[in-house]
Amino acid sequence: MSTSNKLNNKYSWIFMAAIASALLLFGGLRDSGPRSQQDRIDAITSQLACPTCQGESVYVSRASAAEAIRAEVARQVGSGLRTDDETIAYIEQRFGSKVLLLPRSTGIDSLVWALPIAALICGAAALGVVFRKWRTADDGDPSADDSALVDAAMASDS
Amino acid sequence: MLSEKKVKPVAPIAATVVGIVLVCLLWVLVGAKPNPSDNADSPLLGQPAPAVVTTTLEDKPFDLSRRKGSWVVFNFFNSTCVPCRIEHPELLTFAQNQLSTDNPAELYTVINDDDDTAVLAFFAENKGDWQKIRDNDGAIAVGFGVAKVPETWIIDPNGYVRLRIAGQLSEGLLDEQMSILKVQFGS
Repeated sequence: MSTSNKLNNKYSWIFMAAIASALLLFGGLRDSGPRSQQDRIDAITSQLACPTCQGESVYVSRASAAEAIRAEVARQVGSGLRTDDETIAYIEQRFGSKVLLLPRSTGIDSLVWALPIAALICGAAALGVVFRKWRTADDGDPSADDSALVDAAMASDS
Repeated sequence: MLSEKKVKPVAPIAATVVGIVLVCLLWVLVGAKPNPSDNADSPLLGQPAPAVVTTTLEDKPFDLSRRKGSWVVFNFFNSTCVPCRIEHPELLTFAQNQLSTDNPAELYTVINDDDDTAVLAFFAENKGDWQKIRDNDGAIAVGFGVAKVPETWIIDPNGYVRLRIAGQLSEGLLDEQMSILKVQFGS
């Protein structure tokens, strides 16, 4: 393959990657219009854990406690007196923070978010140090002492 | 012989750090003490009670804010719940004992996800002439953060939540706690 073909091929890939990224960005950020009350109820209840189930959200659970919370969320959304965050805070004030499927990013709960990132950074740094050390140790160049030993051995053989 | 390069002991240092962290976690675990109290925690304790506006089984209006001046006890109940049925004699005793106190507490059954007929049948069979209030759509239960019945809550004469007992009442617990609260906050 000639150099100009290689370049053309490279630019094609970059162009395609740029188009794909732009489309993903557009799809992710585009405004889908005003949300209906049901959209808001679904979004709020998806963030709340059913207090009597294991790992189910209020949105999917059919338990009586989950249905009661769903009805309360619907009442609050219908009344228009509270924002989504305020409605979630209202439920949290009643049932405690265990009712939140997504832990808060403040206080002790923030450790849930911070610790994995800290562990990732520390792990990456440790791997970087170790890889660098391996590369330095395996550079293939003998030290002056090693060369002298080999030279001496060769001289004694001859 | 080839010369030996000095290698820093990374593995022992890492193992020591991990070991120290594990020992610290174990220390925290061993040192943790379970809550010895019968009382359950709630963000509402010490806070004004949630608004409760509903009707009784006799279709009379009920508004908690109009009960100020009295100690109010809410017992969240369902006639199909076994612990609710088992603790019922405790409530009968409590209601009876309160009659002989200076400022008797008002006991209310909050009907949780149950129908009126079943509740009336239960009380006809097992007695208990206090008021039973409806909890339409579970609004009162959510207001108090009640997920499972039975639960018993005590609200002081100023309308502040003072106690939450989650689960079945043990013998004499409600009388004992009410006496303590009346001393602590005044009857």
